[in-house]
Amino acid sequence: MQKLSQKLEELTVPPISVGPAGGHRVVGKSVERIDGWEKVSGAAKFLEDLDFGPNLLYAALVESPVAHAKIKKIDVRDALKVPGVVKVVTGKDFPYKFGLYMKDRYVFAYDRVRFVGEQVAAVIAWSPKAALRGAAKVKVDYEELPIVLDPVRAIEKNATLIHPDLGNYPHVPWFFPKADTNIAHWRKTRKGDWEKGFREADAVLEDTYFVPRYAHCAIEVHAAVGLYDMSGRLTVWTASQSPFTQRNVFAEALAPLGISHKDVRVITPYVGGGFGGKAGVSMEIIGAALAMTVKGHPVKVLWNRAQEFCNTYQRQGVVAKIKMGVKKNGKITALEHSLYWDAGAYVEYGANVVNAAGLSATNPYRVDNVKIDSICIYTNLPPGGPYRGFGYSEFSFGIESHVTRMAQKIGLDPVEFRRRNHIKEGDTLPYGAHMNPNGLRESIDKVAAEIMWGSKAKSDDPKKAVGKSLVLFWKSPAMPPNAASSAFLKFNEDGSINILISGMEIGQGLLTAMAQIASEILSVPVAKIRVETPDTDRNPYEWQTVGSHVTWGCGNAVKKAALDARDQIFELVQRALHLEKDTLYLEDERVKCRTKPDFELSFASFVIAGIQTEDHTFKGGPIMGRGVFMPEFASAIGDPETGQGGHPNVHYTTGAAGLILEVDKETGKMKIRKVALAVDVGKAINPDLIRGQVVGGLLQGFATVLYEDMRYSEKGKLLNPNFSDYKIPTSLDVPEEIVPIIVEVPQPDGPFGARGVGEHTMIPTASLVANAVEDALGVRIKSMPITAEKVALTVSKG
Amino acid sequence: MPIAHEFDYHKPKTLPEAVKLLAEYRGKAKPLAGGTDLIVWLKGGLEKPEAVVDIKALRELGRIVWKKDEALIGALITFSELIDNADVRKKLPVLWEASRTVASVGVRNRATLAGNICSAVPSLDSAPALLVYDAVVHLQGPRGKRQMPLKDFFMGPKKTALAPGELVTGVAVRIPKKKSGGCYAKLGRYAGEDLAQVGLAVLALADNTYRVAHCAVGPVARRAEKIEGLLNGKRLSDILLEEAVRLVDKEISPISDIRSSKEYRLHMTKVMLRRALWAAVNRLAGSGPVAGSSLI
Repeated sequence: MQKLSQKLEELTVPPISVGPAGGHRVVGKSVERIDGWEKVSGAAKFLEDLDFGPNLLYAALVESPVAHAKIKKIDVRDALKVPGVVKVVTGKDFPYKFGLYMKDRYVFAYDRVRFVGEQVAAVIAWSPKAALRGAAKVKVDYEELPIVLDPVRAIEKNATLIHPDLGNYPHVPWFFPKADTNIAHWRKTRKGDWEKGFREADAVLEDTYFVPRYAHCAIEVHAAVGLYDMSGRLTVWTASQSPFTQRNVFAEALAPLGISHKDVRVITPYVGGGFGGKAGVSMEIIGAALAMTVKGHPVKVLWNRAQEFCNTYQRQGVVAKIKMGVKKNGKITALEHSLYWDAGAYVEYGANVVNAAGLSATNPYRVDNVKIDSICIYTNLPPGGPYRGFGYSEFSFGIESHVTRMAQKIGLDPVEFRRRNHIKEGDTLPYGAHMNPNGLRESIDKVAAEIMWGSKAKSDDPKKAVGKSLVLFWKSPAMPPNAASSAFLKFNEDGSINILISGMEIGQGLLTAMAQIASEILSVPVAKIRVETPDTDRNPYEWQTVGSHVTWGCGNAVKKAALDARDQIFELVQRALHLEKDTLYLEDERVKCRTKPDFELSFASFVIAGIQTEDHTFKGGPIMGRGVFMPEFASAIGDPETGQGGHPNVHYTTGAAGLILEVDKETGKMKIRKVALAVDVGKAINPDLIRGQVVGGLLQGFATVLYEDMRYSEKGKLLNPNFSDYKIPTSLDVPEEIVPIIVEVPQPDGPFGARGVGEHTMIPTASLVANAVEDALGVRIKSMPITAEKVALTVSKG
Repeated sequence: MPIAHEFDYHKPKTLPEAVKLLAEYRGKAKPLAGGTDLIVWLKGGLEKPEAVVDIKALRELGRIVWKKDEALIGALITFSELIDNADVRKKLPVLWEASRTVASVGVRNRATLAGNICSAVPSLDSAPALLVYDAVVHLQGPRGKRQMPLKDFFMGPKKTALAPGELVTGVAVRIPKKKSGGCYAKLGRYAGEDLAQVGLAVLALADNTYRVAHCAVGPVARRAEKIEGLLNGKRLSDILLEEAVRLVDKEISPISDIRSSKEYRLHMTKVMLRRALWAAVNRLAGSGPVAGSSLI
């Protein structure tokens, strides 16, 4: 394993030499967020705070009232008569497909609609009211088609085809759609001989688990403002995690109109929550496309809360069939895991969630004999897509429930079972590559100690029972093998720094972490570094801010940019002042020399103006660092039948979580007395920001298991597109005690050893609750959510 | 989100002026006080009135008038004002406790008690508390003033006995003459603000009489007369309580909806009746759970 670590290191970033004092000055410290005061004081600008001037137009959407139908006719004549209406745009105006990983969508439904709420037309007007009034006057004739809502039934023979042309859709090479079916992608992972594994098992357990759909519920809704100006440039302001990916998708989709990448500019101010919902391109394509129809006018598309629920990405539902075999000593001998994903009407992004799950649905266990089928299935529900956890949150419920039950079946303590089976550095992953260094064992042990695993907790109230649980989690960034990050770092006259990146601040604290990384290398205090949200014209490329990968990927780019700037400084000092660059180091915003203790040169004196030499000439000029990072060891290409041969995942972040749950036996109401979560972050660049991720991720995850779920009518209409009936937690619903535990086993190719942590803290929550409820009451619930109602009625039925 | 519907807007300065305006529109005008329901309905296109008559300038409706045995709560009094009123807390503790469970702080700052009963949704939290205090609705319309017991005001889900053009000017709440203990128990899906899936108000009086009212388990909020009949005149015991619980099936008619199944509503009404009756009786005796605490 030593070898792999070394290899990774060689491939990426050279180790940095620290100053004479040794250790880190800023990295590892909980410095205050650099965007903190701006946000607390209200100075921070979000899309709705921006002023687009007097020419601004507003769009309102005409949406499909049915889940599956052919569009026979659209009559816009009455809509055009409404005062203030400027234009009505329909699918015929944009007969172009788009998509991130598979081009299966039109800007507006073209010849058929495939989910309730799908955009059919847009009315552009001088006021939001006029646009709405116009939209109400657009008449659409539909010829309804049979609908398919259940993914398992959608792959039965003779099921209605949702995409009859699936065979012709362009897609990335690691997808395997089946033409003339509703299967958009089938990720198969095969390792060892699972049939033999089951024969050798002393116990086999087989069961099915159900996970519904979920909504991200970012407090800021999706919005896009497009402007196709008189010079032929398309600028789109979006509330987004993915400015460059959006630019690429806009440029590709609208290329028939004569624009190219250089003409498209995406500006993303601060966003009020992303959670994956603002990744890729969903409604933003409408803002970009409409702008092309009203040259010279910015046009705003602002989702209302119902649209936010119905027509952005949703977390996909999944039916998970699991079969596991174990020896009496606890060793897992074989695993079959079949995941049937309700991917919705379009899978241009969601199919990659399915793919990610299919590579890793063993969870962090060493299993020699594995058969995983992760099947992406079209349904007549809104498009599925990324949501914090990217498939792992979804499959974790089944597999971690099953692992606890498997341990019980052979009479082994569920934590001991996990200790015997968890994956270790160097173990072979389901698709054949090797596991990275990790602190999973340390995480298990620390969490078990924190929740006093092994001692039974009781309640003072006879109506209440207390249960405990401990589960494991892992996740890798799901990204194309060539997803790249880049950074520019510019010094200013006073020695302060502006860093330009396109990693997105979505609340996680990216800007602060990037400032800390540059600060560490260049000895410039964080307070003298400004990092801002992206504008694709000004900031260099970043693939997307998703997959918990930007601290790692963008962090590496920033680190390289800082090292580049440092090299330029050393080169310049050597050239101008004839000091050996190997003897130079940076401290307190100055260049210093190990062999000449009296020498010091402040940054402010030369980083723009250069260094004046003895002949009065100047050497140097503005110091500008440049950093690029791409994981050059990754590859998405493996055998389609087994998944073996590629290196699709760059690394996994692992951890463990434990719960003490009090349950009222009569009402089913649950109260989290304590939750502990240990995660191996490699290196905590900013420990407080990580603790924030732990608290937020747990709360978001517990909500999906305790309260939330998207309910659809049998006609495919969402019944709870509002916060009256889709319950996200409030401050009153926070667990009584949350214990974040930071474990640091360095990631060899991470900046200062760091790896990602944003999504992971949400992943273990559903199985934690399921297992703790069983521990408390002896009932096993196999479908999410696990509401008070479900618990009470399960108990009362005995 | 804008309101696409067009309507006239009036803000009268006097009550007679408001009543006259509402009469002129013959029931096609909607009064606006807190607006926490009306504005949502206007945005969603669920209400399309010809006019909105904003009554917020009618100062005479912004008061609580205390008499010896009654509080007349004006139509502009918000839930936050009820919660912050020391007399309400002392003399009408069940109403105080129920008010604290209505929606969230922000909504309570605007939402009025009178508006809540006019909405007449089956889950309205204020109704069980008002019903156990024998509340009377004060109305004024084209044909003058009239009063009506709250129990007769609710005609069905979102349906009231309000005549076209009639305005609720206030709600009179009777202060119990005898010493009493009471509580409001509410079932929600989480600890945050929620619409009741079951709401249960109980008032236990010193003469061993009991008042029990519920919401969200039938088309309208109402008093549980069969249960009251069984309990009245008796000291509460576990055996008596189980007899009362057996009457729950006859007393309520819950439905299944997105918030709860019929089965869980029935189950929880029984659980809550046990807990709420004991809480009320214990509070009457000077013990019992702290005011405002959740009983479930």
